[in-house]
Amino acid sequence: MCKPLQVKVFRFNPESDVAPKFDDFEVPVFDNMAVLDVVIHIQNYLDRSLSFRFSCRIGMCGSCAMYVNGRARLACRTQVSSLKTRDITIMPLPNFPIIRDLVVDMEPFFDKWKKIKPYYVPKRELDEPVTVQPNSNEREFIDDMLDCISCGCCYSACSMVATNKDYLGPAALNRAYTLIADKRDAIRVERLKVVDRSYGVWRCHTQFNCAEVCPKNIVPTRSIQNLKRRCVLKKFGIFK
Amino acid sequence: MEVLKADILILGAGGAGLFAALHAYDRNPRLKVVVATKGLIGKGGCSRMVQGGLNVVLNEKDSLENHFQDTLKGGGFINNQELAWTLVSDAPKAVHELEVKVGCFFDRGEDGKIHQKPFAGQSFDRTVHVADLTGIQLISRMTDQIYARNIQVLEETRGLDLLSSKDGHRIVGALLSDIRTGEIFVVNAKVTIVATGGCASMYKISAPSFDKTGDGMAICFRAGAEFVDMEMVQFHPTGLVAGRSRLNGSLLEEGLRGSGARLYNGLGERFMERYDPVRLERSTRDRVARSSFMEIMAGRGTENNAVYLDASHLGAEFVEQKFPGMVERVKDIGKDLAREKVEVTPTAHYQMGGVRIDTHCQSNLKGLLVCGEDAGGVHGANRLGGNGICDSTVYGRRAGDVAAALASEEDIHPYQETEAERMRMGWLRPFLRESGENVYEIRDEIEDLMWEKAGLLRTGNKLTEAAERLDYFLEKIDSANVAHRYLAHYNMEWNNIIDVTNLITVCRMVVNSARCREESRGAHYREDFPETDNEKWLINIYQTKGEGFHLNLTQKPVALNRFRRDDIEDRFFEKVKKK
Ligand SMILES: Cc1cc2nc3c(=O)[nH]c(=O)nc-3n(C[C@H](O)[C@H](O)[C@H](O)COP(=O)(O)OP(=O)(O)OC[C@H]3O[C@@H](n4cnc5c(N)ncnc54)[C@H](O)[C@@H]3O)c2cc1C
Ligand code: SF4
Ligand code: SF4
Ligand code: FES
Repeated sequence: MCKPLQVKVFRFNPESDVAPKFDDFEVPVFDNMAVLDVVIHIQNYLDRSLSFRFSCRIGMCGSCAMYVNGRARLACRTQVSSLKTRDITIMPLPNFPIIRDLVVDMEPFFDKWKKIKPYYVPKRELDEPVTVQPNSNEREFIDDMLDCISCGCCYSACSMVATNKDYLGPAALNRAYTLIADKRDAIRVERLKVVDRSYGVWRCHTQFNCAEVCPKNIVPTRSIQNLKRRCVLKKFGIFK
Repeated sequence: MEVLKADILILGAGGAGLFAALHAYDRNPRLKVVVATKGLIGKGGCSRMVQGGLNVVLNEKDSLENHFQDTLKGGGFINNQELAWTLVSDAPKAVHELEVKVGCFFDRGEDGKIHQKPFAGQSFDRTVHVADLTGIQLISRMTDQIYARNIQVLEETRGLDLLSSKDGHRIVGALLSDIRTGEIFVVNAKVTIVATGGCASMYKISAPSFDKTGDGMAICFRAGAEFVDMEMVQFHPTGLVAGRSRLNGSLLEEGLRGSGARLYNGLGERFMERYDPVRLERSTRDRVARSSFMEIMAGRGTENNAVYLDASHLGAEFVEQKFPGMVERVKDIGKDLAREKVEVTPTAHYQMGGVRIDTHCQSNLKGLLVCGEDAGGVHGANRLGGNGICDSTVYGRRAGDVAAALASEEDIHPYQETEAERMRMGWLRPFLRESGENVYEIRDEIEDLMWEKAGLLRTGNKLTEAAERLDYFLEKIDSANVAHRYLAHYNMEWNNIIDVTNLITVCRMVVNSARCREESRGAHYREDFPETDNEKWLINIYQTKGEGFHLNLTQKPVALNRFRRDDIEDRFFEKVKKK
């Protein structure tokens, strides 16, 4: 029951190391322990040179995504008990450059996020909050998809991102959908043009890897399908 | 040292920092605005973690006067009334802008209009929200707007100290460190805005994000800023109990109590009946938190030193629909919020005190504006739930506007290079030592000390002891070393040493001020002076840095300029009138 965890942690300093390595640690377990608690324990008490990133520790900021036992997850929202094993391997998120150890450079992810013009541009005539009946279909499923915390889990799990460095990827496309389906927005057509490219929605092969790992239960694939439909409508001049 | 020149430098990218940047830029897009943040942009700080929502008067049956009165009542009437009035009267503008310009979409009610939910301590349901995880939407959308503008963002870059002009008369930027490289550099700016979100993370059980360690306050203190009412630290009544996990102390939002969730002690008694029979669990945070703590201290808590929060009688479906984020969080510790009672404890949450500002966010130092949690005075002795992010957005906007106006007319003043160099060498000292103190041990000790001696129940003796220990820790942290001396690159340990240095600086102000206030009011409770004393203590306590480690302390009567003493009909005041 109280046997310690055997933890393997990926170590790499691109400034000085030729190649990455793994360090082994034995970590005592306690109740409600999350993977974040594991790396904090290691950093505070076993090896003070370890680096990782976190902030909110409650799954709201999306800073602490790591690749834990073969899957992208939020360290703070992954209970050790849910891994169902004492052996834990912690690596940085795949598909991102490494800054040090478990800290990755999120820039490629946010560069693509910026490409889809992620900012809302209000329609000129809208100067008051719109009235929307909660049970109307007006917001489609935008509100569910707005919960994205830009953690990068989906991006790291997408095989199309891995093989195509230009592919916008699930999170940016999901953000694009939430704006393109938002009737208040003024540049929906312009934005649709950005995603209607070979490196945009058409690269997605609908395999749902992104949805499987999303800690917020977002299904980017569904947003992407909706964008594809709108791209077709645009082609026939029906999307305005 | 590398030097970057800017018109406006903003430290912090929570609600206050981001709104300041957007407003400054929109006022004058020719200005060079630089935002430095300790985390990734849009990810650090507590604005991101706002769950419940934001207070604003939107309904015609509500009024600014009501919101103002609630804010003062909640604050034990030592709020700066001009700041509180500005808060409530600007809030509708801030919310309007968030929806219409920034692109947030607040939850709607049956009538299709923005929904407002009940929060504790309020005479009207006025909290706007996005389900129970409001901050994600607010901060994500503001960050997206930053991308639409030519604003320079320095991520994972922390402010270390403010720099002064050659004549010493104004603040002209800051010394910063790039966490990724360990490089220390200068931003020389016309106007500097500090918005690093205060801290309450000096307590063993606390709710804020990890990156909030009182940096901004400590930085302003060292530069000579004046602080107000630093003893006022808010404890939120419903922090999750999760043992040694970092989840411990994370919040279960106020809307639960607002909707009727109840608190029970270990004996199954609904103890709020004894402490506030009228408002019960919907009483203000200070009272509910203190009542829970007293139950626990009296041995009537649960075996984990907690009390129970019970929302199950509200109906599982209702709880799951209205509080999905809370349900999910509680699930992480293997409990079901919708169907069973959950253990909760008071958790350190928010710093009401802070840098003294006026309604234009101007501090006592020229060139230095402060907004959000780093500033003090708005909330008095206790902040109402929903007034925090309201404060950050209202005053963030103001700081941006004021900074743009100042920067448009001001020239850039050079900084004192020797001062900057001295500061840099000071921060680098932990690398120069072969051995020294361990920062993690010091941090644990401080958190315990503050919890036990300067927490929910204080006495003069405990505070004196705390003050002495803090002076000792200040010396101790000064000889901390980093284990890996040749690794400046994303060195968490080094950053922790800086964090703890700042924490101690802020703790000293909290304790010193708490020792001075010999009465109980709002969040500040003295077992040796349990009464609220309006004859003597309608007073604000100010502090500045003195010689060496000394703290200068002054007291001034609260300016009762809008709400005068006779107008206030709170219970405390009835007593005074009867006399
Ligand atoms: C869990 C939780 C829930 C809350 N819920 C509510 C609620 O429902 N309603 C409400 O009104 N209030 C709520 N609050 C309070 C509210 O979050 C704060 O009042 C508000 O967000 C403070 O905003 P800010 O912009 O001042 O600081 P923050 O949002 O905390 O931002 C601080 C910023 O400064 C950065 N920073 C820190 N140090 C440095 C440095 N040295 N250099 C540069 N940058 C630095 C941080 O990385 C961050 O970007 C909640 C707080 C918490 C912790
Ligand atoms: S869609 Fe999900 S996995 Fe992807 S960035 Fe957003 S929250 Fe993370
Ligand atoms: S569904 Fe599309 S976006 Fe999601 S992982 Fe697969 S290819 Fe990538
Ligand atoms: S630390 Fe914020 S999501 Fe994990």
